[in-house]
Amino acid sequence: MKKTRTELEQENLDQKIILHEDERNTILKARAQTLAVEIKDVTTKKDFIEIMEFSLASETYGIETAFIREVYPLKDFSPLPGTPPFVLGIINVRGQIISIVDLKKFFNLPEKGLGELNKVIIVQNEQMEFGILADAIQGTCSVPLDAIQNSLVPTIEIGTGYLRGVTSDHTIILDAEKILSDEKIIIHQEAE
Amino acid sequence: MDAKDEEFLKRLRATFRVEAEEHIQGLISGIIELEKSPKTEKAAVIIETIFRDAHSLKGAARSVNMKDVESICQELESIFGKLKNEKFLLTAAQFDLIHRTIDNISKMVSGAGLKTPNDNSELIKHLRSITEEDEKEKNVETKTKVVKKSSEGTKKNILAENSLSADIELVDEKLFRSETVRIPTAKLDPIFLQAEQMIQYKIAAAQRTKELKSINDSIDSWKKKLGKQAIHSTAEGGSKLKEIIDWNSERLNELEIKIAEVAHVLENDQRSLGRMIDDHLESMKNVLMLPISTIVEGFPKFVRDLSRSQGKEVELVIIGKEIEVDKRILEELKDPLIHLVRNCIDHGIKKPDERVRLNKPSSGKVTLSFNATESRHLEIIISDDGIGVDLDKVRSAALKSGMIAKDSLEKISTQEILSLIFQSGITTSQIITDISGRGLGLAIVREKAEKLGGSVSVDSMPNIGTTFRLFLPLTLSTLRGVIVRTGENLFVIPTLYIDRVVRVNCEEIKTVENKETIIIDGKIITTVNLGNVLGLVNKVENKLNRKNVTADHLNFIQLIILVHADKKIAFEVDEILEEYQILVKELGKQLSRVHNISGATILGSGKVIPVINVPDLMKSALRTDVSFKELSEKETETKKKYKILVIDDSITSRTLIKNIVETAGYIVETAVDGVDAFTKALIGGFDLLVSDVDMPRMNGFELTAKIRKEKKLSELPVVLVTALETREDREHGIDVGANAYIVKSSFDQSNLLEVIKKLL
Repeated sequence: MKKTRTELEQENLDQKIILHEDERNTILKARAQTLAVEIKDVTTKKDFIEIMEFSLASETYGIETAFIREVYPLKDFSPLPGTPPFVLGIINVRGQIISIVDLKKFFNLPEKGLGELNKVIIVQNEQMEFGILADAIQGTCSVPLDAIQNSLVPTIEIGTGYLRGVTSDHTIILDAEKILSDEKIIIHQEAE
Repeated sequence: MDAKDEEFLKRLRATFRVEAEEHIQGLISGIIELEKSPKTEKAAVIIETIFRDAHSLKGAARSVNMKDVESICQELESIFGKLKNEKFLLTAAQFDLIHRTIDNISKMVSGAGLKTPNDNSELIKHLRSITEEDEKEKNVETKTKVVKKSSEGTKKNILAENSLSADIELVDEKLFRSETVRIPTAKLDPIFLQAEQMIQYKIAAAQRTKELKSINDSIDSWKKKLGKQAIHSTAEGGSKLKEIIDWNSERLNELEIKIAEVAHVLENDQRSLGRMIDDHLESMKNVLMLPISTIVEGFPKFVRDLSRSQGKEVELVIIGKEIEVDKRILEELKDPLIHLVRNCIDHGIKKPDERVRLNKPSSGKVTLSFNATESRHLEIIISDDGIGVDLDKVRSAALKSGMIAKDSLEKISTQEILSLIFQSGITTSQIITDISGRGLGLAIVREKAEKLGGSVSVDSMPNIGTTFRLFLPLTLSTLRGVIVRTGENLFVIPTLYIDRVVRVNCEEIKTVENKETIIIDGKIITTVNLGNVLGLVNKVENKLNRKNVTADHLNFIQLIILVHADKKIAFEVDEILEEYQILVKELGKQLSRVHNISGATILGSGKVIPVINVPDLMKSALRTDVSFKELSEKETETKKKYKILVIDDSITSRTLIKNIVETAGYIVETAVDGVDAFTKALIGGFDLLVSDVDMPRMNGFELTAKIRKEKKLSELPVVLVTALETREDREHGIDVGANAYIVKSSFDQSNLLEVIKKLL
């Protein structure tokens, strides 16, 4: 009597299970190994940072989203006389006054290229809050920490202190915490 | 530990910190109170409270696993427990020890200086000795006590009664607490901002109502005209025409009625909306009113510590701490108050032996009194019974800093000398300590007071004491301010400082000793240009150019005369706009202090306008030597100026290009898109156009093409600045007739100016 297909398969299966114990062990071991790797992956997940990418004068920059309060369209601003050039002026964000910083001027980058400059990224930590001028917002993404290179690309003239590094896509990741807590960014002109 | 657990514990600790701070504060004020009045009946109530505070703190510390805090609280609790049950008095040294202990707890709680367990155990040992010592004494006393037992019994009764009343108080407190919700101020601030922002819409709604009414007015006049026509046309006998006119007037009537109905409803809505917004804002302001006790809570402890460290004895009396004041004023007030109290202890009150020599009680007294006046103002009086301000020292310090000349010294009154201590750079302290004596403090106090719309004054009598008086608004009231324009910039000048506003003929301005002056009411007043003083040089030059071009009908100039500290200066502005009720806001965290600007206000339209810091401005004005005439002379030397129109829809790009071109010495006007630019170009008489390509309504290509077709403008050079970099785009630009094409990615100041120079 001819065996049915299911019976054949069952036989094959039995054979595999019963006959190849060594093979079974190797399979299990391999599985265990893959599993072990996966667990390791889970633990390294922490080493990702979420950044928002934006363009500024033909370069792409990234800022950790943890420091971003909101992005605000720049329609109008009031310049303040007597402030250093990197302070563009002040804006009204729903009744709150926010100052705007031109990072290009703050970093002393050459005035090359002209962008739209009509977005303000409001960054904050516990002590500080201000807006950063940007051309366009490109979106957010997660970047693994080990993909950020600390060796600096020669074209970057920003002081090393303000950067976390550069990704493989040439996104320059700014160190928001450093910029926010930099004393040079605070304007305090005592009465003379 | 699991990340989640860690997060949870972190949150728990944060909650604990808030709770602990309350208990610690309770302990501190209780102990200070107890030290002051150890034998009164009140003492029992105080002991009961601090006993509970120590106990609750212990429990709370246990729940977040802070063993150090827990064990030390245990000791405090047993001391207070003992105090409660068996009357005995703590010595001054023991009070010190308890204060040190609480300091330590506070440090441990805030996680600042983490104390080594060793340090802690040392404290515990000392604390334990308090209870043990007492134990020994008691053993000796036991025998005698038996005799005293009956009187002891009555004492116990009194104590029981006291603790009963304390219990009642506690019940009251609980009731009160259940009706209170703790909300972080960080959550309240945005709500307040929103409430404030609504005013903008209230104003806008009123504006719309007005507009709608004016539409109806124009319909009305239209109807009247039509009616006249109808009479004429019937006279002429055109029946068909009459029919059309009649039909039209009917439609107009209907339209008018409908609009009137909508306007009426809108007006009602707007009125109730306005009232609601006002009420809401008022309630929000009330929410933000906090009792003064919230900031002076720490003062007794601070005074105690400071006076101890200087070997002085000082008693602090605080009166009126229940008065409620706008939270934003309180926040600004804390540092100046600390400074003034510090000043009293540092300079005013001497060491006990010295005081006794002067026939004064050995312990000095500093009084901090708060008083709400009928004019809704807060009056704060900080007084001490110390030696008073040493006027000779102030005089010599003022001489040394060059603030007053030697020969004028005798003419100055005592009151004027006293007010000098608010000038920065004046200190009577021989040595500069870390807390005062740098001569900056009182200047800062005055600045803060003025910023809040208040004032500060001082009175002093030798060997009797010094009194500082701060006068402030209770709420951060709105200020009146006049909006002025200089060049393209608007500024608010607080009305408080405005002496008067005048329009004068150019001829009336005379140069005296190389300074512009004007005579008003027989007095010579220095005249400066506001834009000039603020450092807006470009704009001023620009304006002066225009002035040279059309000198004949600009004979009059607008002056605004400001007064501060008995000095008057006339500021020239381009225009004086309206006077508004304004609310001065901070410039944001980054701009902690900016020269000449005290803050900014937001107009009904949402526009932000900087508010001038007049005291600062007056100082700057006296420093600015580049006078108005010098500038204009410099200007006339240069040759004809070209006029350039800059077009870009992005405000930043527009401002950037404008500044570049302006700095190079051209006269610049701006437009926001092609349509705007074309209208301006037709009438403006420009020599060149710099335009963006990608713009709403009419882009740069369309604009160029339109200009080339217009006979009047066909020769006008056009420079396109664009993000479009392809060859096709460039060709498109040339096709429509642009003279130059600059790609944004390679844009810089020099290549733009080079191109402009070439084309002119």
